[in-house]
Amino acid sequence: MPAMSEKKIRPEDDGRDFASAAWSIPSYLLSGMILYGGAGWLLSKWTGVVAFTPIGLILGVALSVYLVYRKYGR
Amino acid sequence: MSTLTLLAPGDEFTPPGLELFDAAPIISGVAWFTKPVLLALLSTIIVIGFCWSAFGSPKLVPRGVQNIGEIGYMFVRDQVARPFLGKDADRWMGLLLSMFFMVWVWNLMGVIPVVQFPVASHIAFPIVLALSVYILKIYLGVKHQGALGYFKNMMFPPGLPKPIYVLLAPIEFLSNMIIAPFTHAVRLFANMFAGHIILAFFSLVGFWFLFEKLTPLGAPLGVIGVIMTIAMTGFEMFIQFLQAFLFAMLAAMYIGNSLHADH
Repeated sequence: MPAMSEKKIRPEDDGRDFASAAWSIPSYLLSGMILYGGAGWLLSKWTGVVAFTPIGLILGVALSVYLVYRKYGR
Repeated sequence: MSTLTLLAPGDEFTPPGLELFDAAPIISGVAWFTKPVLLALLSTIIVIGFCWSAFGSPKLVPRGVQNIGEIGYMFVRDQVARPFLGKDADRWMGLLLSMFFMVWVWNLMGVIPVVQFPVASHIAFPIVLALSVYILKIYLGVKHQGALGYFKNMMFPPGLPKPIYVLLAPIEFLSNMIIAPFTHAVRLFANMFAGHIILAFFSLVGFWFLFEKLTPLGAPLGVIGVIMTIAMTGFEMFIQFLQAFLFAMLAAMYIGNSLHADH
């Protein structure tokens, strides 16, 4: 499958992609934070190492940003 | 004015709170039949009546209600349906148009004098709508892309390095299956909920300082309250329209993504 940038974009698709991206991004960021932040929090609970929660949160945001960048950014 | 009866006795100004949203049964003994339920039923009748009179016997040269109806139809078709559904837009217009009008009338109930209660500020109402769209989205996705294909297309967007899917697929799943429908309902609810509190607050400021406890120092505050009530009512009407538009737009987006695999 070609990456998004190689695809021919019709003018009417342009608006759709932009709107899809704009409305999906917050959802992705939130998902990443909840998923990996939650995993980090659980690890903190079990191991007693407090640092896992912020590490998980940051990892989640980083992964979400990466996903959004690869999906919509180029 | 239900807000007035809720004022705590005393000399101090008490801002309105969650009690604004307590709805007592209209007929005692019928617990489910409250003001928002009545307004939702009324909205349904209004939307059906409007669409009936607008599109019931269409003329080639539209006049009266049909004119207004067609403006609404064109707006939903060009701004909501076509950008996300393309050539499938016409098939989904019935759903999207009813949904847009329905939510808009629900919201407008918040600024209609005497009525003054946005239906969607009770979260159950937007949840039912969002849940219907959610079920429709999964049904269409499974129907058009196959059960396996739908989840594969959703969780494994093409063009990423293979190992990273282990980390990203759960994010895609959570985002599409849980967070998106959740925010779909909550966005509408929270906007209407907050808007209603803001309007109630400013009108209560005006009423309290100009009528209940009129003092030379308090009067200017009351005037500000009245001015803010008028300004915020205008703003609220804009938000009401915007949220109805967004709700229908997101529904179109979810349907569109289910009909065709995302890129």
